[in-house]
Amino acid sequence: MEQKIKSIISRLNTADIQFADVRITITDNESISFINGHLRNYGSSKGSPALGIRVLINGCWGFAGSKDLSNASIDRLINKAISNAVQGSKFLNTKVSFPAIAPSFAEYHHQPRINPFSMAKEEKMSYLGNLAEAIKPSGKIVHSYVAGEFVRQEKYYANTEGSYSHTSYYNTLPVMMVVAADSGQVQSRTWPGHMSAGRAGFELFYEQEFAENTDRIMKEAIDLLKAPTIKEEKADIIIGNGHLALQLHESVGHATEADRIFGMEISYAGKTFVKPEMLGKYQYGSPIVNIYSDSTDPKGLGYHPMDDEGVPGKKIDIIRNGVLVDQQTSRHIAHMLGLEPSSNMKGSYADDFPLVRMTNLCIAPGKGSLDELIKSTEKGYLLDFTKTWSIDDNRNNFQFTTEIGYKIEDGRIVGIVKEPTYYGITKDFWNACDAICGDEEWGYHSTFHCGKGEPGQVMQLSHGIAPARFKNINVSVKD
Amino acid sequence: MYEQLEYLKTALDKHSELKFNIVQSYWQTDFFRFYQSQTNYNISKENVSLTADLYKGKKSFSFGIDDPTPAKIDEALDNALCIIDNLPEDPDFVDVEDNLSLAEPREIINNIDAIPLSMKTEILSSLSESATQHDFSLYGTFICNFSRYRMINSNKLDKSSSTSPIYLEIKAVHNQSQLTVMETFGGDNFKYFDLEDFRSRLMQKIEFCANDVVNVDEGKYDVILAPRCVAEFVQYLSYGMSARALDQHSSYFEGKIDQMVFPETISITDDPGDPEMIRMEYGSDGHIYNPLKLIDKGYFRNFTCNQYFHHKTGLPKNGNTASCLKIATGDSSLDAMIGKVKHGLYISSLHYMNFINPKDTSLTGLTRDGTFLIEDGKISKVVMNLRFTERIERILKNIVVLENRAYSIPFSDNYESFDIATVKAPHALVKGFNITSSTNTI
Repeated sequence: MEQKIKSIISRLNTADIQFADVRITITDNESISFINGHLRNYGSSKGSPALGIRVLINGCWGFAGSKDLSNASIDRLINKAISNAVQGSKFLNTKVSFPAIAPSFAEYHHQPRINPFSMAKEEKMSYLGNLAEAIKPSGKIVHSYVAGEFVRQEKYYANTEGSYSHTSYYNTLPVMMVVAADSGQVQSRTWPGHMSAGRAGFELFYEQEFAENTDRIMKEAIDLLKAPTIKEEKADIIIGNGHLALQLHESVGHATEADRIFGMEISYAGKTFVKPEMLGKYQYGSPIVNIYSDSTDPKGLGYHPMDDEGVPGKKIDIIRNGVLVDQQTSRHIAHMLGLEPSSNMKGSYADDFPLVRMTNLCIAPGKGSLDELIKSTEKGYLLDFTKTWSIDDNRNNFQFTTEIGYKIEDGRIVGIVKEPTYYGITKDFWNACDAICGDEEWGYHSTFHCGKGEPGQVMQLSHGIAPARFKNINVSVKD
Repeated sequence: MYEQLEYLKTALDKHSELKFNIVQSYWQTDFFRFYQSQTNYNISKENVSLTADLYKGKKSFSFGIDDPTPAKIDEALDNALCIIDNLPEDPDFVDVEDNLSLAEPREIINNIDAIPLSMKTEILSSLSESATQHDFSLYGTFICNFSRYRMINSNKLDKSSSTSPIYLEIKAVHNQSQLTVMETFGGDNFKYFDLEDFRSRLMQKIEFCANDVVNVDEGKYDVILAPRCVAEFVQYLSYGMSARALDQHSSYFEGKIDQMVFPETISITDDPGDPEMIRMEYGSDGHIYNPLKLIDKGYFRNFTCNQYFHHKTGLPKNGNTASCLKIATGDSSLDAMIGKVKHGLYISSLHYMNFINPKDTSLTGLTRDGTFLIEDGKISKVVMNLRFTERIERILKNIVVLENRAYSIPFSDNYESFDIATVKAPHALVKGFNITSSTNTI
């Protein structure tokens, strides 16, 4: 593959082409799901190839991609990428340009503790089957779901500046859910929440203690059927890791993708309320809020030694002491904003056009444990495990519902509430943050399903997160 | 054209103990994305893939192969045969699809060839000139796909189908205020695209933006939902019309077959044959896709149901997937509908909706791409984008007038695959629509 990709690059090293890059990915996928205790799906796709060729001609991008890596296909893709750029440049006001970067080279290969593709199939099926059996419908539990999705991707990247990288990794997405119903009421609980993926193999099921939490989610789903809803207009809320990752993702992560500033995502994902003049001045959150993008940490799904346009991995502050200080950028957009590129350009597969994407977007830990944070809360709710999410076109007005809320009085949990819903405006919300738990609670929560771009891409990425408290938040939605 | 499928079929024919469903598909897209009235990028993509679902008794295993070759097929099949014996059973599996009815043949134009990039940029340049006069720039996508597939199963089902959907979405954004309006075209026949009609509708929306921008308080409003909004609410509602949702106890329609659930003015059909829409010939398992009444004059009539859930739930099988939804029109013109509103809103488009509880159809979402205040029967001001928290059930029950014209609205599925579907819907006047907060942004 190294030879193939370098030979394509050599054909693109011409005077007419200002910049070009080529990616090849080889992806293995396996998915297993049990519904109501029975195996419903076991599917695999091994060695799925993809090739993408991107060229910059006359200041315009052209791209072509295919699953066919044959020489005839490569010839066709080169011609198509070039003709797309040439034709596209006839409808152009401002040419794409960016400074050159010194070439770099990278080789990285991740190995999981338990390789999900080569482990004994009996062990894998037995573990998942036992989980499925433990939560199968009975009494008020009317539906259950256990699933594992396993990915291995090998990627080759080369560009006309001479950069080259070859990487491989394993990601795993474990899922467990129960649905309880009674008298027309339906409630659900998942474990360990909405962002349960990780840079790991099958060991993730053990690390996340799936077997230890089957009884808990069944009991909580049933208890929620008779639980009250929140009555107050406003409340102090602590958000657990099973949901705060998504709050960060939606109201900071997407809002600080700088392609949105220029309207490049208006047609699907939307715009952002962030403007270039806010950098260095805008009080995005309270002074204890520090948020950074870190593609240098191999424990997260967003790790890469080099992004998909040759920028070496970086750790950059996005919000420092509450103030917006940087953006997630491409080389083109960074140049327009007068910033250094942040190493956030990624495509899901090689035949996807690279876009500005979150990598490992993290909130820096504060101090103390979750227990200590609850003890220091006189009255409020601990909300956890995402159920419903929604945020506006500009990433300004959000509303979330979690699966469960734990009522806090005098520093103790005294009961649960169902469908706790809160809403707010991004800046007001992050400025209401008065406590963030410490290292002991901090960890990566990751997803396989961040959708962006057209044609649509789903990115695998991580959020480093610790539970945090937010004061006086709207928790009443009038029906 | 389908050599790899036939190669796999020949190999499977040696295993009489297996039932199977195999599909070879070819997919191609030419995808033009633009911003600030200029090219962002143009993407050409193609893919040939082969998928197989194998069943041995009640045990099953599936595999997929991109860019299939005989060597890859042999390896995947050998692997499947090694695995399948050791898997647990699914007691609910009975058989693969046995509906052998064939759709009427129809001519398919490959719109990637029919609408080249040069034609796309010419259309956009023309529209851009009109928008520029009002200080608006164009953003959006102009997409043509082409796909074909052949499906074979062990019940002697052998069906082929092709489609070539077109999706044009233009957002006009004011260069200073960021006020945004949208116009779309979708279908599989470009002869229905009328550039001057499209320009006229886009420019009318741009002209509405000359009005003042205001914020409104939370509360209940009489609203006119644009066809895109009606279509999207009905798409979400259709989740509960599936046998899968019923089986998972999350369907609003559980226990409501043949009950009146909405006013008699509401009829919803899954119609795969409307030439102004993107048509369907077969459901995902190969069952022929026929028109299906879902809501008939307010009565809930049918769940969409495939072979698997037919056996599991006992519901009649139809192969429909609610991919061609049509909402029946009413008898009023849009102008007359606006004229009936003393103080209300016109909502052009919705954003980021999600169910709070699918069982009771409660959800939240936002307005987007042009929300307008209606005062004394006229559109009077631009309104900042708003959040609503509603139940689709209540919205449909509160429809008091439907427009006498329906529009084909395209939607793209941007998550697992890039599919394009259309829904045909009229404007609807809804009373008491629940606005719960403002975004304070446009």
